[in-house]
Amino acid sequence: MHKIAVAGTGYVGLVAGACFSEVGHNVTCVDIDENKVKTMKQGISPIYEEGLEELMQKNYAAGRIDYTTDYQTAYKDADAIFIGVGTPEQADGSANLSYIATVARQIAESVEKDCLVVVKSTVPVGTNDKVEQFINDFLVNDVRVEVASNPEFLAQGSAVKDTLQAERIIIGTESKWAEDVLLGLYEPFNLPIVSVNRRSAEMIKYASNDFLALKISYMNDIANLCELIGADVQDVARGMSFDDRIGSKFLNAGIGYGGSCFPKDTKALENIAKQNGYELKTVKAAIDVNKEQKTLLYKKASKRLITFNGLKVAVLGLTFKPGTDDLREAPSLENVPLLLEQGADIYAYDPVGAENFAKVHPEGPKAKGSITYVSNAEQALKDAHVCFVFTEWGEVKAVTPEQYGELMRTPLVFDGRNIYDLQEMAIAGVEYHSVGRNTVTKEDIKETKNHAVPNAR
Amino acid sequence: MKIAVIGTGYVGLVTGVTLSEIGHQVTCVDVDKEKVNTLNKGVSPIYEEGLTELLEKNLERGTLTFTADYDEGMLGKDIIYLTVGTPQGKDGSADLTYIDKACDSIAASLQQNAIIVTKSTVPVGTNSYIKSRFEEKLSSNIKVKIVSNPEFLRQGSAVYDTFNGDRIVIGSDNTEALETIAEVNAPFNLPIVKTDLRSAEMIKYAANAFLATKISFINEIANLSEQVGANVDLVADGIGMDKRIGRAFLNAGAGFGGSCFPKDTNALISIGKEVDYTMPLLESVIKVNDKQRSIIADKVIANYADLSGKKIAVLGLAFKPNTDDMRDAPSIQITERLIEQGANLYAYDPVAIENAKKVLSGQVEYCSNIESALQNADMAIILTEWQEIKDFPLSAYKQYMKKPVLFDGRNCFTIEQINGSGIEYHSIGRPVEKAN
Repeated sequence: MHKIAVAGTGYVGLVAGACFSEVGHNVTCVDIDENKVKTMKQGISPIYEEGLEELMQKNYAAGRIDYTTDYQTAYKDADAIFIGVGTPEQADGSANLSYIATVARQIAESVEKDCLVVVKSTVPVGTNDKVEQFINDFLVNDVRVEVASNPEFLAQGSAVKDTLQAERIIIGTESKWAEDVLLGLYEPFNLPIVSVNRRSAEMIKYASNDFLALKISYMNDIANLCELIGADVQDVARGMSFDDRIGSKFLNAGIGYGGSCFPKDTKALENIAKQNGYELKTVKAAIDVNKEQKTLLYKKASKRLITFNGLKVAVLGLTFKPGTDDLREAPSLENVPLLLEQGADIYAYDPVGAENFAKVHPEGPKAKGSITYVSNAEQALKDAHVCFVFTEWGEVKAVTPEQYGELMRTPLVFDGRNIYDLQEMAIAGVEYHSVGRNTVTKEDIKETKNHAVPNAR
Repeated sequence: MKIAVIGTGYVGLVTGVTLSEIGHQVTCVDVDKEKVNTLNKGVSPIYEEGLTELLEKNLERGTLTFTADYDEGMLGKDIIYLTVGTPQGKDGSADLTYIDKACDSIAASLQQNAIIVTKSTVPVGTNSYIKSRFEEKLSSNIKVKIVSNPEFLRQGSAVYDTFNGDRIVIGSDNTEALETIAEVNAPFNLPIVKTDLRSAEMIKYAANAFLATKISFINEIANLSEQVGANVDLVADGIGMDKRIGRAFLNAGAGFGGSCFPKDTNALISIGKEVDYTMPLLESVIKVNDKQRSIIADKVIANYADLSGKKIAVLGLAFKPNTDDMRDAPSIQITERLIEQGANLYAYDPVAIENAKKVLSGQVEYCSNIESALQNADMAIILTEWQEIKDFPLSAYKQYMKKPVLFDGRNCFTIEQINGSGIEYHSIGRPVEKAN
């Protein structure tokens, strides 16, 4: 088994470290934050991710994983050092590489034996060439250091599972030696490995995420058109899904993508293209569609209601998707300020994201309205005039159409995740606006009540 | 079931032949008498694998007939399939002239109630329009029900696709008609998606435009890969293993053509326009494709200061392999531009030459095999990935050509295959390989 150091204990680094220890390697995770290191030693994960704490506790007990702020000791005799630090987006859409540069410098000054540096962070194409040059420029000892690219494909909310059961592992190397080291490290995972050159590996990461973002924007565009011409986007998606060339996944219409990957990686690749004098038209269009889509529910509701002033507004779900406490680029962050500006009294529920959301929008009066955080969906819905569904949490999906009908003062629901069946909402007497489907109007509800055969169209 | 099929183009002929093959009694109606005579002799006017065999077989056993007479065609039929063409109008919208004519002719001859099944790709809402047109033209005692049943066959494997399709989509606002058409299709033994009329119409457009989007996306990634030194083949392999993406339709190349993707993508944009919805994403897909289609010409021109008098071998003309279809083929623009630059073109295609002669400039010389096209050429360009072209030995390029320079618009070869072949190789989204 190999000795591995991991730089950075964010999503990417910590999950990678825990999984490498799980398959038997000896892992040391390095972070500059002493408190964070202490917490992790106690088996507590700084991020919410299913199955992660279990792996941390089990492998810490077995002595296969440890945490430290002492990078020098961690790096000096490592067979491989994985870099999983952040590459946040800068104002112009390009990636900020200062964290990577800092780690690269530390590595150069610490390593005492031949070592492969593996960059897991998403970096612009060509960056790893520079990282290798940079490390070799600052190298203190006479050892061999090469840089490989090993982009990360985990999805937040299922990061551990995605790593241990990945569809493929991409490794990008420029020498047989580097390729062999990485193949050896990943052998115990027993997963398909695609071995390519370094720049292609870097490109694969961006191209994957950008294509998925494009797929989401495409279906959202189709959904909006479906609404206008009276087709049902869920039926359309079902009809498309049988075609293997299209695939049955990622065809759900909604209120746009968020999170730390799709928004960042689309803008980054567009930026890389620009720097090379190329205009990436499809990706640019995907970004534009997403921007519009994120405020779709607010726009729909504004058309339906004269004002939000003095209305109790239930908000179900705040995070950008279920299974995570991450709020980055979440549609809720766009819609809530607009609602507050219009005087809404918001009662928000999210199973794990409320705390983070309260950091941006503290409880109490804000703008012309106010925001209150509640601990379940029922509390939010009680006597509400209007409800917004932003995230399809299991706890939100568990709310039945009847509950909206019974709990709300006026059962008016704007659902950005197409959770409910149109007929069931009509039967429950709920005016229901979703994405890419017909609206269940007051007239539909009356008709449903008057007719033996309900018809939500 | 007794079925009439209106129109004997790609869709109509394949529909008629396959419906008769699964046991229905089918009469195909086409106003072109000469075509009807040829078809009754068992000769197919289109090249499509397996079609002639099934045509002959079902003519012989009497389950399939062709007629130019609507009265005869409509006699006693329960179901009438509409398969006539819906060409792209000037503004990108679908031209419904043929649909109108077919509806009127049916209405004039039909003596009993029937189900009308629209297989033609028609804009969303057209089936409602067809229904109202029938209501207007039919005598009051005869009623029709409308079903949308978009076809998803691919040219080149249309017969195979009909029997092995991913799904059959049937849409109707009438449950009884929906069930009847599901029953008609049951012997194909494929998954059936039942939905309403408008959603069925939409599925066809949304599916085709998505595939077009996938192609334009990978072509953009290819162009960017060239700039940054990545290899688009490896990139496609890497992202294609993600099931949410899929490897199919990730082959970079000289853009999409044919009768479906450009037409359906444009039609979807124009459907949006009619309801005041702009679709910048699809517009970008079209823009990328328009540029991509001439990228091989761009590359040739960028690499040669002067093309006048240069002999260029053109390998492949059809818009894709296994078809003689030249509609919207990239070869049309590319040959035009190269001729403009003074190049002499020697073209080879296994089956599309006859059709190419109708649409390409008269200055193109046609060759009967790859070797004669390559003979003494200054460079060769591959525009269609025919198996025959992919199988042609790389060593032969050096043997026949004046200079072995190959511009491959379809990435027919891997860089490893090219290495050491002595060919200067330009492809899409991959580094240029020099001859030595």
